[in-house]
Amino acid sequence: MDLFPVWLSLRVALTATALTLLIGIPVALLLARRRFPGRNVLEAAVVLPLVLPPTVLGYYLLLVIGNRGPVGRALAALGVELAFTWGAAVLAACVGSIALVIKSAQAGFESVDRQLEQAARTLGRSEWSVFWSVTLPLAWRSVLAGGVLAFCRALGEFGITLMVAGNIPGRTQTLPLAIYDRVQAAQMDEANALALIAVAAVVVLLFGLSRLARLRY
Amino acid sequence: MIRRSLSPALVLAWLALGSGGAPAAEPPSLTVFAAADLAFAFREIVPRFEKALGVRVTLVLGSTGQLAQQIEHGAPADVFFAADQTFVDRLVAERALLGETRALYAQGRLVLATPKTFAPKLTELRRLTDPSVRRVAIANPAHAPYGRAAEEALRKTGVWEAIRPKLVYGENIRHTLQFLQTAAVDAGIVALSVANVPEIDWVAIDPGLHAPLNQAAAVVRRSARPEVGLAFIQFVNGPEGRPIMKRHGFRLPGEF
Repeated sequence: MDLFPVWLSLRVALTATALTLLIGIPVALLLARRRFPGRNVLEAAVVLPLVLPPTVLGYYLLLVIGNRGPVGRALAALGVELAFTWGAAVLAACVGSIALVIKSAQAGFESVDRQLEQAARTLGRSEWSVFWSVTLPLAWRSVLAGGVLAFCRALGEFGITLMVAGNIPGRTQTLPLAIYDRVQAAQMDEANALALIAVAAVVVLLFGLSRLARLRY
Repeated sequence: MIRRSLSPALVLAWLALGSGGAPAAEPPSLTVFAAADLAFAFREIVPRFEKALGVRVTLVLGSTGQLAQQIEHGAPADVFFAADQTFVDRLVAERALLGETRALYAQGRLVLATPKTFAPKLTELRRLTDPSVRRVAIANPAHAPYGRAAEEALRKTGVWEAIRPKLVYGENIRHTLQFLQTAAVDAGIVALSVANVPEIDWVAIDPGLHAPLNQAAAVVRRSARPEVGLAFIQFVNGPEGRPIMKRHGFRLPGEF
């Protein structure tokens, strides 16, 4: 059996999770700590990908990053092709899962006692240092929970990926797409085996992650 | 710290997956986007073509409408086999396909199918109104050619309005077939080309009940190797492909 979809999916999900944490944490901090015009709009925009049907979202993304879309054309001018590559699968997974990181981390940051941050500031710590030594460690559980949810959502992403990355075996066919293909072809044995691998991969990864988290705190 | 314990583990995992997961070096291959009704026929034709020309073929099956949409937006397909020639003509007009490579390759036929577990076997469309038939599967008429033809046939028979509440839409013809294979529905209308599976019985539907399902193929303009794509179309329409297509229930160019 071809295991390419398994490796591709793990790589896509890990890359997407790293990117969503990188982008999601600052956005969450912004939403938790600052009052600014347009904050409500941003907060609504963040959860929009959870509300829109994935295939609809995928279609709009394709209009933007496809070779006729504005971003697609700009990238093509740089010699980069995003649509229908594994990068598009990463983008799909990010779009589908970033809301989970942001909402979870935002809740975590909002629950941090501001006086502890103030105390660190009175001791001469910079804002950067306060964030790394006080805010993030106190909100870490929520951030980690968001990351885990995002990883799972990224691993299972189907609708957006189908639209923007296609379902090309050996190139962009991720695990969920491969399972869908096998089911449609009535190859139930292979579909079951792939589904089992998906479950096993998630269990092993989450177990490992919880062990690491416990070592830390 | 967090960064010291977690991040290196994740980075290592990511790198480890690089060897297996990065589709960096792509071997020279032909990517064929084909309508779902070609699933069984192409499973036989593709290996023969690969052997004859020494090319690796990546076969992507889907609904004609969705595949057309992806080609329009730059999907890396080399050749497109649609279940309905109008999709090919539209893409030719939009300059996404090469008009000079366009060729008819088949005419599709519809069958009325029932799962073997459902008795008695249905022999005419009118019987779909029977109360014993609770669910009827057809492909989505909004974008699947066989679904549109099924709707036409049901309208012409005069049972469309009566059975509308019973209808279940498949995403494409393979998905529709799957409803029948799992006996999730009591009856359905699928392509003859996918109907020869052990789980179902079928009877052919009079082709006069719907507009002809003329199927066309063409090479994608962006293809880096248009000559190989054209060779594949000619292979399907040639002495090796035709008998296979015929055996899978397609009428062939020159016969209609």
